Amino acid sequence: MTNPITCKDSTWLVSESRERTLSKEELENLERHIAECSFCKGASSQFDVLFKQLDSYLGNSRAEKDNSG
Amino acid sequence: MDTRLQKTVAEEAAEYRPLLYRMALTQLKNAAAAEDATQEALLAAIEKAESFERRSSLRTWLFSILRFKILDVMREQSRARKRNSELPADGSDTEDCDISTFDALFDESGCWADTKDVWTNPHTVAERDAFFKVLEACMTRLPERTSRAFLMREWLELEPTEICQELGISTGNLRILLYRARMQLRLCLDVHWERD
Repeated sequence: MTNPITCKDSTWLVSESRERTLSKEELENLERHIAECSFCKGASSQFDVLFKQLDSYLGNSRAEKDNSG
Repeated sequence: MDTRLQKTVAEEAAEYRPLLYRMALTQLKNAAAAEDATQEALLAAIEKAESFERRSSLRTWLFSILRFKILDVMREQSRARKRNSELPADGSDTEDCDISTFDALFDESGCWADTKDVWTNPHTVAERDAFFKVLEACMTRLPERTSRAFLMREWLELEPTEICQELGISTGNLRILLYRARMQLRLCLDVHWERD
């Protein structure tokens, strides 16, 4: 089965997920795409690190959540 | 009141003045207002020195104090604008606002054009400081309005609707600005963050 979304689409969804909860379909598409695409696996790990460190740097409320669990 | 602790905090906090000022200026767009907010945040930090817990970094603590000062000023400015029925100062919606800026990163089918290293979170204090240093430098390279919108969201933690109101832009436009900020930071870190 071909991917319903592209790498570019997946970066958009990763950004969107900082503002809103993704729909079930979006999340499934995103997760499936990342699982199947090694480039996106790398990019997604980079965004994870970026967001976690950004939260910690800025000391925002997400950073507190990161620290507590 | 522990004056020795206050003195230590005052000395260490002074080193962050330029950074705090830059953060304030991005949001307030006015040198005098940014200077006031920075000064007030530093004074508040010295006054409240006893409540500073070493488990968070001094920078994080100062950011949180400055954050409240800035939100106060923004609320006051917004009230004044309403009294005068003015539009937000930044009102134009014309900044280059499509996401095609990053098209070079993808091939024609929307796939990444090259492989991406997997990053692991920096573990040691030194690694973390190194990461923060690059992150800070990368953030200063963001275009002014992108950076303002991005920090309103990630630092001041305003809701998208509040940011749109403050900047006088559409939600679609804001989503694009935030996307561009995140894409640009990832790219900048990919280039400049030295990993072993």
